[in-house]
Amino acid sequence: MGDYAPVDLTAAEQVEFELNGRRVSAPPGTMLVDAAHAHGVRVPVFCYEPRLGPPLGACRMCLVEVEGMRGLQTACSTPVQPDMVVRTDSPLAKDGQDGVLELLLANHPLDCPVCDKGGECPLQDHTFEFGPGRTRFIEPKRHFPKPLDLSSLITLDRERCIACFRCVRFSQGVSEDGALVMEDRGAGSEIATFTGDAYEGRFTGNVIDICPVGALTSIPYRFVARPWDVQNAPSVCGHCPVGCNVELTAREGEVRRVTGRPDPNWEVEEGWLCDKGRFAYPGDRAPGRLREPLIRESRDRARVTTLEEAVDAAALVLGRGGRVGVVVGPEATVEEGFIAQELAAGPLGGAPVQRLGIPGEALAALRALPGAQLGDLDGAGLVLVVGGDPPNQQPVVELRVRKARRLGARVACVGARPHALEALGEHRRAVPGGLAAALADLELPEVESAVVLWDEADLAAEPDAAAALARLAAERGMRQLELGADVNGAGLRALGMPARGVLEAAQAGEIDVLLTVHADPTEGPGGAEWGWALGRVRQTVAIATHASPLADGATVLLPAATHREQEGVYVSMAGRAQRLRAAVPGPPGSAPGWELLLAVMHRLGAPPAYRTAAQTFAAAAAARPALAGLSHDALGALGRPVATPAPPSPNGAPAPREPAGTGLPLVVTRMIFGDAASHRSDALAAVRTGAELVLHPAEAARRGLAEGERVRLRSPSGECALALRCDPAHAEGVAYAAAGPPASGVERLLPPDRGPVRVELAAER
Amino acid sequence: MPIANVVYRHREAGAPLTDAGAYERAGGWAGLKRALAEMQPDEVLYAFHRSGLRGRGGAGFPMGRKASFIPKDSALPAYVVCNADESEPGTFKDREIMEMNPFQLLEGILLAGYAVGAARGYIYIRGEYEHQARVLDAALAQAREGGFLGRGILGSSFDFDITLYRGAGAYICGEETGLLESLEGKRGQPRLKPPFPAVAGLYGAPTLINNVETLTSLPPIVDRGPDWYASMGTEKSTGTKVFSISGHVLRPGNYEIVLHETTLRELVYDHAGGFRPGRDFKAAWVGGSSVNVVGPEALDTPLDYESLAAAGTSLGSAGCIVMDDSGSMVHATLRLAHFYRHESCGKCTPCREGTLWLERILRRIADGEGRMEDLDLIDQVAGRIGGRVLCALADTGILPVVSAIHRFRDEFVAAIEEGGAPRPEPMMEVAAHG
Repeated sequence: MGDYAPVDLTAAEQVEFELNGRRVSAPPGTMLVDAAHAHGVRVPVFCYEPRLGPPLGACRMCLVEVEGMRGLQTACSTPVQPDMVVRTDSPLAKDGQDGVLELLLANHPLDCPVCDKGGECPLQDHTFEFGPGRTRFIEPKRHFPKPLDLSSLITLDRERCIACFRCVRFSQGVSEDGALVMEDRGAGSEIATFTGDAYEGRFTGNVIDICPVGALTSIPYRFVARPWDVQNAPSVCGHCPVGCNVELTAREGEVRRVTGRPDPNWEVEEGWLCDKGRFAYPGDRAPGRLREPLIRESRDRARVTTLEEAVDAAALVLGRGGRVGVVVGPEATVEEGFIAQELAAGPLGGAPVQRLGIPGEALAALRALPGAQLGDLDGAGLVLVVGGDPPNQQPVVELRVRKARRLGARVACVGARPHALEALGEHRRAVPGGLAAALADLELPEVESAVVLWDEADLAAEPDAAAALARLAAERGMRQLELGADVNGAGLRALGMPARGVLEAAQAGEIDVLLTVHADPTEGPGGAEWGWALGRVRQTVAIATHASPLADGATVLLPAATHREQEGVYVSMAGRAQRLRAAVPGPPGSAPGWELLLAVMHRLGAPPAYRTAAQTFAAAAAARPALAGLSHDALGALGRPVATPAPPSPNGAPAPREPAGTGLPLVVTRMIFGDAASHRSDALAAVRTGAELVLHPAEAARRGLAEGERVRLRSPSGECALALRCDPAHAEGVAYAAAGPPASGVERLLPPDRGPVRVELAAER
Repeated sequence: MPIANVVYRHREAGAPLTDAGAYERAGGWAGLKRALAEMQPDEVLYAFHRSGLRGRGGAGFPMGRKASFIPKDSALPAYVVCNADESEPGTFKDREIMEMNPFQLLEGILLAGYAVGAARGYIYIRGEYEHQARVLDAALAQAREGGFLGRGILGSSFDFDITLYRGAGAYICGEETGLLESLEGKRGQPRLKPPFPAVAGLYGAPTLINNVETLTSLPPIVDRGPDWYASMGTEKSTGTKVFSISGHVLRPGNYEIVLHETTLRELVYDHAGGFRPGRDFKAAWVGGSSVNVVGPEALDTPLDYESLAAAGTSLGSAGCIVMDDSGSMVHATLRLAHFYRHESCGKCTPCREGTLWLERILRRIADGEGRMEDLDLIDQVAGRIGGRVLCALADTGILPVVSAIHRFRDEFVAAIEEGGAPRPEPMMEVAAHG
């Protein structure tokens, strides 16, 4: 992992000193370990991990000799000083390093042959490079029963633990959940949870990445592979719009592990992942995964076929002359979206193309403000969170906001949902429709460098608040960072793809044939309206990864690759275009969506000039101003921001939107472990959550509803039944619903544009 | 060799001074009254300086200098913390102060707080001192009632209060930064230094931490003047010091003596009554257990900081453990190694693993499983601990082990060659002679 902090050797102010006889420099305040690393000298570390806060100085692995200072110094906690003379390779320094390793290994079980960390273990590596070849410890080693399951995801081997405190510091100082502690003392020290319960949370898997030995290992990855059996691919997580940079570990054609990258993206996730992003990968081989192309011959008879034949059939269906509509889902890559547009504009004769997502006309002014990356939260004076529930919907944002606060930022939250970031500072709880008023009520300190995080769905639903926030941010010189609703929503917007058109055409009876790309509109907002409109569609071609009502009934089904199985580009909510890399190919009967779409274009006699994902992206970049100048190569390992959209022409103060329907206003939250991806992954079985209705106890009492009871929710768009939970942290007069997986029907309560809606509640008896 | 009861004022008074009135009648509160009425904080600080008083907890750092490190312009309030986690083996001097003369300690904390401009004092007392904690608690209540604590103390503009906090029984919490962590409600472990507590201590605020005996020495220094105090002892070892003496002596106990005026021989034979008939001095850990053990060659060393250093050991906390020739150096060393292993907090690798290893090797030697190369191994393992850890626990914890295998090497060689060291007779034998 990123054991050493990046050092800016080009900074104006530099301290010169001597390192192993060489004259070198580093900015003042740089710790010796980092300065040495920047100059190609590796000082071994265990407890040092700059992302965990100030150095601890516990493991004593980084002992070096500094002339004029007595004994040995820990390089992790010794800042560079002008003209200091440092030796990391003197006999005394080497004795220090060798000595610490000898002591660490005295009680280490050396069960490397059966240890998951073997082959990628800092303790092994340091021992090999700096340590003793043999031990002088002849006594029996310390023994613990092992392994101990810390949770359903992480197992603890106390014998292997070297008490570096990294996991404890992560829990105490990064995720700030205080869950992990060191129990007992001295040679009996062991990692445990404070309460004695399982270590569960949103970010627990990070302790696996930062453990420098095999003490904390992944249960889903247990005994799966050896480092020399696997291929690792740097990619991007596709489970939310944050765009965390990940490394995918593949063995024998399957993704078997997801970790933070060894060189993290400091602008995005800093190497931290949420547990969904880390443990959702088994969903790629879940029972609902589509593996075989199908051609439907009649209402209740479908035939498994080859991909070739299915693509032929798709081209036939699409090119027969009927009026086609194309729907692109938020998981489609920029390349898939672009080819879908080209296909519609060319061979399909100007067919409408619609992305599934929020139209968001009211958000144009906000999006045109100077943008921030998550990395810009470090050192910000104020972080204002407007709407949303970042800990659930954009999880890693929580860690970045917590860090910003630790670095001195004030945090303020306004929104309808109670969430974990509210406790970090001032907050105002808004009722739906009242966001603008709550925002006006918040007294914000006058500080340099403020960043506003705003929720796409919530502000699109309240255009008056969006306009007020845009004004406030412009006045205060705040930078903005969108809390996006959809994985690649920003990428599809950059292509200029509208969020409406196909539905309206279908409702008007103007669509005969539907092409879907990673999309089933019947499962999401406005699902019932879509279902009704699509009733008139004669034939459907579905490019999809997993079973869904629409895919199951498609005339032609083309199984597609998931984001772990294909090349492509996602644009994060912060407008950062980043590359997906295929860790493995999809199942034999599938292909990447862009390949399927290209094949259809070829079959329709309109072969485009591009044949690869990279060429497709280059064509998109040439055709779409927002992507101008970008290419797969230009995105490199860490991606690049796309162009900021132009500000809209001012058109007065937008009016508040009235929620549709009657009853209580509805607030829908996508819980971190509640979505389809979490429900598909067997690894997340113990932590995933379903849909539920949450009411203030007084609200429930007023309506004669009891905790645990099943309640039917009816909106103008749809209805569903949910179990009721009462929680006084929520406001009265509002119905809160955790969305759960698509089958729960919660998202179908919303209108197609995710606009504001009211629900009637009735006990289901 | 005379006794001088400066911190043991109750011995002069002939009765415990656990009542505020009794303490006042015995001359108590005079220092505080004088300071508040006649002296600026800087003058009090200068008096600490001039007295030459050195920290009595073990490290012997000049108290006045330590107090002068507290910044005057800090945005955060300053604190005075009294280290009453008296856990050094063989040391029980602070216990008697807290039990018998608690007000003098409170007065000392008040004077230190006045001198450095502190907002509050804390007494961190070891969990095992339950009775002493009760006495202090009662003393604090009486002091508050008497106007010695709280707002506008004795009619001055000085506001100050003291909080008593009981530890939970860990040697490491006597280390000043480990104590601060524990006082903040965290796991007791030393912090990385710098920053030192004077700059960033309790809750990140400037903090003066001193031992009970150090703070208890302050009222007479202010009352009778620093020159009076400095006139006792030598230039670098001024004033009086309580020696706790225990082990194979007939009159174990606390003896407050003027530094340099008494030799180890006088302490052992005259004050502590020497040994049982037929027994003779074998060894002593003069400054608590975390020091080099010495043999009879050190008997004529004057008890002061520099003479003991010259004799190859240190004054430490002056918890003098004495062994007569019936004792087993192998078993005593094993017992001390066991102590340091048991008390290691586990933060630094060399201490956590090294103290365990040293104990295991010594256990083997005592049990007759030793090898001759183990003596070199002990040296080398200790060499990989010393100077490579955050705090003094292991840094000085290796001293009794290493010094024992050098000074009393014959006994270890004999244990290795003869299949173990015989267990020494139980200590009840000594008590019977007392």
